[in-house]
Amino acid sequence: MTPMPVDPDFSSRIIMLLTTFVLVVQLMMVTQRTLVGNIHLFAVQSLLLCGVAGTIAWVHQATHVYFVLALMLVGKVIALPLFLIKLVRRIKINEELKPMFNSPVGMLLCGGFALLGHVVARPFAGRSPLINSTFGIAIALVLMGLFLMINRRTAINQVLALLCAENGLFLAAISLTTFGMPLVVELGIFFDLFVAVMVLGILVFRIRETFASIDVERLNQLKG
Amino acid sequence: MESMALPLLYLAFLSYMLGILAGAICVNKGQIGAVLTFGAAALGGGFGLLAAISFLGAHNLPTLNAELLPLSLPNVGLTIRLDSLSAFFTLIISVVGLALSIYSVGYARDFAMRKSVGVMGSLFNALLLATSIVFLADNAFSFVFVWEIMAAVSYLLISFEHEDSETRRAGIVFFVMSHIGTGCLILGFLLLFQASGSYSFSSFHNIGMSMASGPRDAAFLLFVIGFGVKAGIVPFHIWLPVAHPVAPSNVSALLSGVIIKTGIYGLTRVCFDFLGEPPLWWGVVILVMGTISALIGVLYALMEHDLKRLLAYHSIENIGIIWMGLGAALIFLTTHHPVLAALALIAGLYHTLNHAIFKALLFLGAGAVLHSTGLRNMEEMGGLVKRMPRTALYFLIGSVAISALPPLNGFVSEWLTYQALLQGFNATPSLARLLFPIGAALLALTGALAAACFVKAFAITFLAQPRSARAAQAHEVSKTMLAGMGMLSALCFGLGLFPAQFVAIFDSLTLQLTGCAISGQIGSDTVILSGLGENAETLAPLGIGIAAICLLPIPLALWWWFGRGAERRVGPTWDCGLRELTPRMEYTATGFSKPLRIIFRGIFRPHRALSSSFEFSRYFATTIRFETRVEETFEKRFYRPMQRLILVGSRRMRALQAGSLQAYLIYIFVTFLILLVVCL
Repeated sequence: MTPMPVDPDFSSRIIMLLTTFVLVVQLMMVTQRTLVGNIHLFAVQSLLLCGVAGTIAWVHQATHVYFVLALMLVGKVIALPLFLIKLVRRIKINEELKPMFNSPVGMLLCGGFALLGHVVARPFAGRSPLINSTFGIAIALVLMGLFLMINRRTAINQVLALLCAENGLFLAAISLTTFGMPLVVELGIFFDLFVAVMVLGILVFRIRETFASIDVERLNQLKG
Repeated sequence: MESMALPLLYLAFLSYMLGILAGAICVNKGQIGAVLTFGAAALGGGFGLLAAISFLGAHNLPTLNAELLPLSLPNVGLTIRLDSLSAFFTLIISVVGLALSIYSVGYARDFAMRKSVGVMGSLFNALLLATSIVFLADNAFSFVFVWEIMAAVSYLLISFEHEDSETRRAGIVFFVMSHIGTGCLILGFLLLFQASGSYSFSSFHNIGMSMASGPRDAAFLLFVIGFGVKAGIVPFHIWLPVAHPVAPSNVSALLSGVIIKTGIYGLTRVCFDFLGEPPLWWGVVILVMGTISALIGVLYALMEHDLKRLLAYHSIENIGIIWMGLGAALIFLTTHHPVLAALALIAGLYHTLNHAIFKALLFLGAGAVLHSTGLRNMEEMGGLVKRMPRTALYFLIGSVAISALPPLNGFVSEWLTYQALLQGFNATPSLARLLFPIGAALLALTGALAAACFVKAFAITFLAQPRSARAAQAHEVSKTMLAGMGMLSALCFGLGLFPAQFVAIFDSLTLQLTGCAISGQIGSDTVILSGLGENAETLAPLGIGIAAICLLPIPLALWWWFGRGAERRVGPTWDCGLRELTPRMEYTATGFSKPLRIIFRGIFRPHRALSSSFEFSRYFATTIRFETRVEETFEKRFYRPMQRLILVGSRRMRALQAGSLQAYLIYIFVTFLILLVVCL
């Protein structure tokens, strides 16, 4: 069966819509104070990215993007959030998060990052219709992920922020090259992340055992 | 006709890999592990040797390319290339590796009781494999990759007996120096990459001609440091006399014989293949460094009484001699004397091969002594020639070769180096010509001092009476060990007596690197040199050898003629009226080297302390304690201040290390933002 021809204009509008939602979810994460809520939001964001990847795979008939999509769906939408939630339940972290900047300042900064991402992405605009906005959003996602990492003090939150930054990278890859990175690279990054999350999960246990807290600020006691 | 070289190389690699695997399986199997691993290494060496011979034997074979591990990523595939330079160095590692592996089968028994022979064999194979690929790598990425594997495996082997704190320290010194070198190499390759846009060695060919002189000179200096550290040239040599002696002796032989030659390979490859026609000062730098190394190396060797450390210092000396050849070749390239450049290059590379063989032989000899007596300090040895006659013979052959006496191989290559240096005076117009006679004079001094040093090394170790109980209980070593040493001894003779036949294999090499093949200008049985310069000189080592054999009956005849009627008495050695001769009356290594310690005290800055205790008169001391040592000039005047500087700098830098994760994240984030804004 030959696949149904897709109107490129229509598909790019769908991708646009989905990436905007991704950005909105990211902003919600900046303001969301509960840890479990954050994890749920991350799952939603990954699901939206799956939508973007699916659309691109459908339009360009790129088989290996389907493979990446399946990986993403199983890994980032289901497995990692479940693992993190289980971790949160097991070590009974108090729900309240202690950000460095309060919510309004955080939102303002993130707005600035979104703008910066758009400005930076402009030189690439001419390459394909998709890049125009998605690449800007991708850069904004990476920046916000890094910002989240600085803003939150608990180790699990930082893992989550790292995952968000990686989501941004994923979006950048599929928007810049249209077909995503080579499968080898994609697999490599995915594996790295998986290992990182596992190691950090174990580390969180250790930190909690040693310091009776998972506030990374206390790690500076280790300084020689 | 398809060349057999590549399939043979693959077989060699396969053998080494099987050796690694066998060692991993037989970790605790003792002698079986030794036989399997070193057997595989010997097989690999044999295949490598055949590959190199089949490539070098067929003249002017085109360069062979192959991909070892196909990777889809651009520029970084593990590709190999076999050209005449690579083949020549493959020849060196294979022939030495073969002899060492045979020796190691017996030598490993020494370790079977307390260490894992399987691990040692595994690492030995890994080192041979990595080093073989260093000589063959076809792009900068895979070169640096295998270069680092080689360094890591060397480190593991150096610290094989890590129970000893001296060994651990030696390993660390080696590791640090090796990484300084590798850092310089990476920077150098990046400079080349900037000009060529690719990492492959074929794209680097003569890339220097299209570079600005600034980056080109910078690349040259970076490579000199990077390869100089590995080769152990002064002033980057400090790790060598520390690290080589503490390794197991078969590994010391491999390190001193072959691994430091990777520095020579790299320098030759970069200077003659990549950087294009050199400015005059490059050759001057190499020549001067070589001369200084040769002299410093032999001087410190003279002061050394640890047999293996002595040999390690001699490696510095010989690397210096090799660099003199290479430096002279670079100067001749600048002054457009391709024939002389080819001659000097052959001198350097021939000495590389020769040094690999006799230095491996000497280390194996020292290893046999260590194996049999457990001693490394020469002052406790003595009398071993009666107890280990064949080892003594092989060690003597190695000593004669390294002292550059005819008819052995060391003589031929040092003779070629002299030739190149002496002819350089007329061939160079500027003031730099003065370097040549000075270099030749210092080379002569070096040769004389090396001979003195090996008189000491051989005589104190093997002659007279044993100075300790362990030396008295020494016994001859096993057959495999003797076979390994015997093979190298035979090569010393072969390369010394038939150099003209051997020099022919350099033709395609010099044609590739200097644009000139000169074996035609070398007569069939004389090494050198007809028609090269105005005062051409010739030399026939085979003739010298035959002459020596023919002259041998003359003293015998004289002895027979004049000793006919004389009465023959056998009596004790005259002992000045004392009751008996004891080993304490023997000449010591310290005593032997004393005159030289005094002559060169400006360099050695010897420290001596004499303390004696007596009961009623100073003339009747009950105990006398004499202590002397020489200053390690480079460590004290160059490396210590640098170390202090780095430590102070690091303490300053510590202010940045807040120890807070947030702070580090902010560093990363701010850097990222700045890069994003600035670069895009």
